[in-house]
Amino acid sequence: MNRYVIRFSGWQRIEHALVILLFTVLAVTGLSQEFFRMSWAAWLIGALGGIERVRWVHRSAGIAFTVLVGLHMVIILWQLTSGRARPSMVPTRKDFRDAITMMRYYLRLSDQKARFDRFDYRQKFEYWGMVIGSLALIVTGLMLYFPVLTTRFLPGEVIPAALMAHGKEGLLAFLIIITWHLYNAHLSPEAFPFDTSIFTGKVSRERMEKEHPIEYSRMPEDREQEGDESVSDGAARPD
Amino acid sequence: MDRRLTTFFGFLLLVAAGVVVVLPMASGSAMAAEDLSNDVCLACHGDASVSTPLGNGKTLSLYVDHKALAGSVHAGLACTDCHSDITTVPHATKTFATKRAVSLAYYQVCKQCHFAEYSRLLDGMHFEALAKGNSSAPTCVDCHGAHSITAPAHPRSRISRTCSHCHGAIAAEYVKSVHGKALVEQGNNDVPVCTDCHHAHNNSNPLSAAWHLQIPQLCARCHANKQLMAKYGISTAVLTTYVSDFHGMTASLERGENSHPRQFTATCTDCHGVHDIRQVDTAGRQQIKAHLATVCRQCHPGASANFPSAWVGHYEPSLRHAPLVYAVKIFYVIFIPFVVGGLALQILLHLWRAVVNR
Repeated sequence: MNRYVIRFSGWQRIEHALVILLFTVLAVTGLSQEFFRMSWAAWLIGALGGIERVRWVHRSAGIAFTVLVGLHMVIILWQLTSGRARPSMVPTRKDFRDAITMMRYYLRLSDQKARFDRFDYRQKFEYWGMVIGSLALIVTGLMLYFPVLTTRFLPGEVIPAALMAHGKEGLLAFLIIITWHLYNAHLSPEAFPFDTSIFTGKVSRERMEKEHPIEYSRMPEDREQEGDESVSDGAARPD
Repeated sequence: MDRRLTTFFGFLLLVAAGVVVVLPMASGSAMAAEDLSNDVCLACHGDASVSTPLGNGKTLSLYVDHKALAGSVHAGLACTDCHSDITTVPHATKTFATKRAVSLAYYQVCKQCHFAEYSRLLDGMHFEALAKGNSSAPTCVDCHGAHSITAPAHPRSRISRTCSHCHGAIAAEYVKSVHGKALVEQGNNDVPVCTDCHHAHNNSNPLSAAWHLQIPQLCARCHANKQLMAKYGISTAVLTTYVSDFHGMTASLERGENSHPRQFTATCTDCHGVHDIRQVDTAGRQQIKAHLATVCRQCHPGASANFPSAWVGHYEPSLRHAPLVYAVKIFYVIFIPFVVGGLALQILLHLWRAVVNR
């Protein structure tokens, strides 16, 4: 029996790498604009070649990110409608029960941990937070990119409101990544120092059994590591 | 003839001429430089009829009004302090083509004492024009006068009158502005006169990008001064609200960069006007709004009538002003600490159970 199971497909790993790249570019060029009155931000803008270039890079990366989000949604919808994937990211009533179970566990009211499927409630929370946040950033970003077009249909005040929302939503996204995501992927006792699964696509069977027992119980034990693609993406098995 | 011989005879001729001119002066009634008191000069130049022909056929009055001289800031100086080339009386006559040529020949005299002002002048637009051959470009005496020099800013309104000699149309606009009216009609010395924005000597090109980008700082010298603005009930948030906005951010950053911006960004004067700045009361606001769409369209072609209201005015967002922006701000002020705090709590709980409280 192979020691590993394939958890993420090649495309999912590429998607994640692209999000890292674009998120970093957007955060650097975006936060330096949000905080331009602070000396570090003004310095950064100067070091990157001036505000005009920083804006150009930010908008280009924003468009690339928009395309990536669009592509992500099209592929997900296609996989779901063609029966190639289970709606494993959709929050269910079980997620709320799991959250309460885990809270009781954390507070030592119980020693019972929740048993998770392919994605636990924290992962779903981060995913949907990112989807909603991305959509908010994309919509407000496009309004700021095309203010003349926007105000042809909407009152002028939506532009400064979009600016306020875009800056604050971007800051929130950044704060979530450097606290929550950094903790879960690097600093938590389970992941320390580096949860490599999203880069290699592989997770050990022991970890799967511990962290995603429900999904693991559906997996045939004798599957080869480099099995067929429908199994390599854990979500891609009609069930 | 041999060239060296020519030079020699030329020199000999020059010496002979010198002897002919200087000898009669040294003897007889001629006076030495140290004896040249102003009274000696005024003995001739105090006569209103004394004049000399100019090369262009006109005559130049050589009369010096001793009362004006005595009332000037230079009353304590001797004529020869400035006219230092005159060492004896009677002195040689000089020929100038025009009256302008006289001014241009003499303005360098001022730097003997006023070197700082002179060196600033060299950085200014006026000197640049002069150096390029525009002989109408003003030198010291054009603004300050010659024998009747008095303090240039007494009263302050005198400054804008001085500039109006050449910049008449702009001066006429200025006196109708909120600043000009206060100065001329009320003698208010808080308002800016020409030189407060343009400088007196090192006036730089007001049509340059560098100038345009530093206009907010120029206006802020008064409009961000809480004490001064309190006298007139004007908010000092005008600068901070502008700088927080897209255009203010661009101007602030590009100003510091020594860069050549691809296009202008709107600063104070683009909405409020330059020399014709009006008071932003009800009428002033209507006037600004009416012409704002035109201003916006210079860089944002096709901007609709809604577009100018993307600028919410110099107000911090509040329930009264820009309530939508205020609502978004309040939402995030609550939402960001809520989410980040909640996640931090979850992390701490997780750590606590996994590490400490196993």
